[in-house]
Amino acid sequence: MMESWNRLIEVLRTSGADAWEAADVMEKGWEFYFIRHRLDQNRSRRVRNFNVRIYRRFEDGKYLGSAGAKIPADAPEEEMRRIVADLCRNAEYVRNPAYTLNPPVPAENTEEEKKPDVRAISADFLRALQAVPETETEDLNSFEIFVSEIRRHFMNSEGIDVTADYPSSMLEAVVNARKEGREIELYRLYHSGSCDEKQVIRDLSETLRYGRDRLNTVPTPALGKADVVFSTDAAREIYDWFISRMSAELVVRGVSDWKIGQDIQDGGEGDRVTARALRKLPNSSRNAAYDSEGAPVRDLTLIADGRAEHYFGSRQFSQYLRLEDSFIAGNFEITGGSATAEELREGPCLEVVEFSDFQVDSITGDLAGEIRLAYWNDGGKRIPVSGGSVSGSMRELAKTMRFSSAGRQFDNYRIPEVTRLKNVTVTGIRETEST
Amino acid sequence: MKAPFSTYLNAMAPGLKKLIGLLRERYDYVSVLSTDSVGFQVSISQRAKSVARETMTTERGTVVRVCRDGLYSEAAFTGFDPENPGVFFREITEELDAQLELLRETGTQPYETAVLPDGERRIFAEMETERLPENEDMAALVTRLSEISDEGVRTGENLIDCMLRASSTHICKLFLTERQDLRQSYVYSEGLVSALASLDGRTEMAYTTVSGRCGPELFDSLRDKLPEVLRIAGDLLRSERVEPGEYDVITSPEVTGLIAHEAFGHGVEMDMFVKGRALGAAYIGKRVGSDLVTMHEGALCAVDVASYAFDDEGTPAGDVTEIENGILRTGICDALSALRLGTVPTGNGKRENFAHKVYTRMTNTVFDSGTNTLEEMIASIPKGYLLQGMQSGMEDPKHWGIQCIIDRGYEILDGKLTGKVVSPLVMTGYVPDLLNSVSMVSGDRETFGSGGCGKGHKEWVKVSDGGPYLKAKVRLG
Repeated sequence: MMESWNRLIEVLRTSGADAWEAADVMEKGWEFYFIRHRLDQNRSRRVRNFNVRIYRRFEDGKYLGSAGAKIPADAPEEEMRRIVADLCRNAEYVRNPAYTLNPPVPAENTEEEKKPDVRAISADFLRALQAVPETETEDLNSFEIFVSEIRRHFMNSEGIDVTADYPSSMLEAVVNARKEGREIELYRLYHSGSCDEKQVIRDLSETLRYGRDRLNTVPTPALGKADVVFSTDAAREIYDWFISRMSAELVVRGVSDWKIGQDIQDGGEGDRVTARALRKLPNSSRNAAYDSEGAPVRDLTLIADGRAEHYFGSRQFSQYLRLEDSFIAGNFEITGGSATAEELREGPCLEVVEFSDFQVDSITGDLAGEIRLAYWNDGGKRIPVSGGSVSGSMRELAKTMRFSSAGRQFDNYRIPEVTRLKNVTVTGIRETEST
Repeated sequence: MKAPFSTYLNAMAPGLKKLIGLLRERYDYVSVLSTDSVGFQVSISQRAKSVARETMTTERGTVVRVCRDGLYSEAAFTGFDPENPGVFFREITEELDAQLELLRETGTQPYETAVLPDGERRIFAEMETERLPENEDMAALVTRLSEISDEGVRTGENLIDCMLRASSTHICKLFLTERQDLRQSYVYSEGLVSALASLDGRTEMAYTTVSGRCGPELFDSLRDKLPEVLRIAGDLLRSERVEPGEYDVITSPEVTGLIAHEAFGHGVEMDMFVKGRALGAAYIGKRVGSDLVTMHEGALCAVDVASYAFDDEGTPAGDVTEIENGILRTGICDALSALRLGTVPTGNGKRENFAHKVYTRMTNTVFDSGTNTLEEMIASIPKGYLLQGMQSGMEDPKHWGIQCIIDRGYEILDGKLTGKVVSPLVMTGYVPDLLNSVSMVSGDRETFGSGGCGKGHKEWVKVSDGGPYLKAKVRLG
């Protein structure tokens, strides 16, 4: 009997579609859920699905329509044919300006990757979590370990036929700290390729220290405007705003108005951002040699010294911008900072290390987050505070932002270790209110 | 018509029952959840259009839950073959045994839990819908949505684009144990109309949504939402920043729902009680809000996207009164947490999909209505804002902090709306302070079911929330 993937490809080839893409995604995953250090539940997953997209050309190739679906890998041939026929019909109704699918192009830097091993990676995580230096007053409330090995086989009608095996891991950890009958918690969610034991222990040790400080906070003062320092993964949101605005899709959709060559920091006096897409970052969960549409991934400078240099993104939107060799980037690096971390913490500033949820709106540039733990640095004092919020707009704050030359990696982002935004609105709370 | 139950799942059921029989020889408890949900999503804009035969909740797969020696384990897989349950029995047991071997090597001890009860139960629920997503005329739908988008950019001021999204999912789930056979089929749909507008270098996105436990007939009325979206886009383009501070506000039903969700929705998910992660555990029977605050949670307390017949652990849908006249009465609970806490499950055990773990999750979370009119409420405020539209929220069950990002605030001065708009607004505070400040409640109520709800920053599920207009005192930044 024909293997189901081969059967699908045959169905696609004989479907009457003008072009097609298909991905066979197999995931083997192990998961472990802990309450304190006791195992709440263990889980395994073996999941396989086919992602399919059908393309139809119209009006002498002026328009291209497409429709996609996830097809169960165990679908019988009759069901596959029915779904693909539906997609062929659906593709007729959504006519977009024409573009072509990716042609086969060999990727650079495709040395053989070590095959992921969920058992070994799981063991690394289990050992790392046992080695976190907990105390009687600061410890792990609970944690969840997710480890997957993923095989993705991608083909399209233009001749691309590539396979990637990669690990994908996630760790959720909740930290408690307590003093005199009061207990607080801090939340962490880490993504990575495999497990970097030292990194896990280092990050959670830092979180335990923050937990201790959160017990000693006073309400955030009503500062009005203040310089705000970011030194944790919340800063990724700031740099993701720059990167997303270089996305071909956001440019085509009119969400980003950045033009190539434009000074996106508007001649400001701050540090100038350089943003690069990278083929690889150590232990990133996004180190694939080809993107989800089969385009080879490579290093590419998106923003150079504060000026827009290259858009990036999916084949459709890149072609609308006449970019022939673009790709969907997964790893990013931000450089260009001129100061040390210590210099950036000088003078009055609020260093926020815990938000409930910090966000930067990719359309408006508005940023906002509730403060769960921050340090108010003023006159040589470093006072832990909590409550209130920060808000502002990156459209203005990007002009004067400063950031460190030294970097720190959070999964698929290597960003400056410390970032300082000037004149951010800080809504404090009065001493009489609870926090 | 009734949404028909999946013929695929009916064909799988005999083989799954054999698999349960094989697993019961090794385990103290065995259940199976198998899913077969289909749907579509159409996205239309002036710049790009797309159709996908999948949504956030389309899926096909199976998860087996087993318990032995107090430890619960699960195996999720695709491609079950009802003719060969023995093959799957071997794969499942080998995989779980390999995990246990690793856990033994690392000296891991289980969190021991009693065996779930397995009483006789039969449910067969095929819920009403006018149309099915799998039979929808996609050509007509795409044409209709494209016409709305065209009208939007033709009639709207400063518009870059007018986008529409319509998605509809036919959910089918089969839950089996040795003594239980539960099958449900229902359809839910959600639609969005949004406008991207730009003026003087400023770009804003306005949107409004519709949702319901119904079929694609929901989209027949999407055109009616266009004038509202165009008005909001104009409001956002002329909006100013709010002066940070504490204000009297009126929350619209959408914002009320966000408060319900973030304040005492996540705050009383009782799997958090098991971990000691929720302050609510210590406040049962105590005051957490004013007398005007009553809040319900459950798949039965509203009809919207999360109104199912049974949850992902086979517990029938419920309707829980969480807060009654300001007093916290109880929380919501999945089946395993109920065993651990010595209480009863409430029908709130949900998975992102078959491949994900069950957590205690919300369904419909709704404040009860009161007796005031919106006009009375506005007239009672000397200086404050009418808050409308939500962007996001974040829970904090351990400390009862709340963060809601609100789309817009309409200024009220001396009991009248002035026309001034502020945006966006970060609403923060201490949950009991906020709920105790509720001083007026309107007589109407609405629910909203678009988008997804995460637990922490993962495990996305469908929920709805809502309520009436509330007058309260909050901190805005």
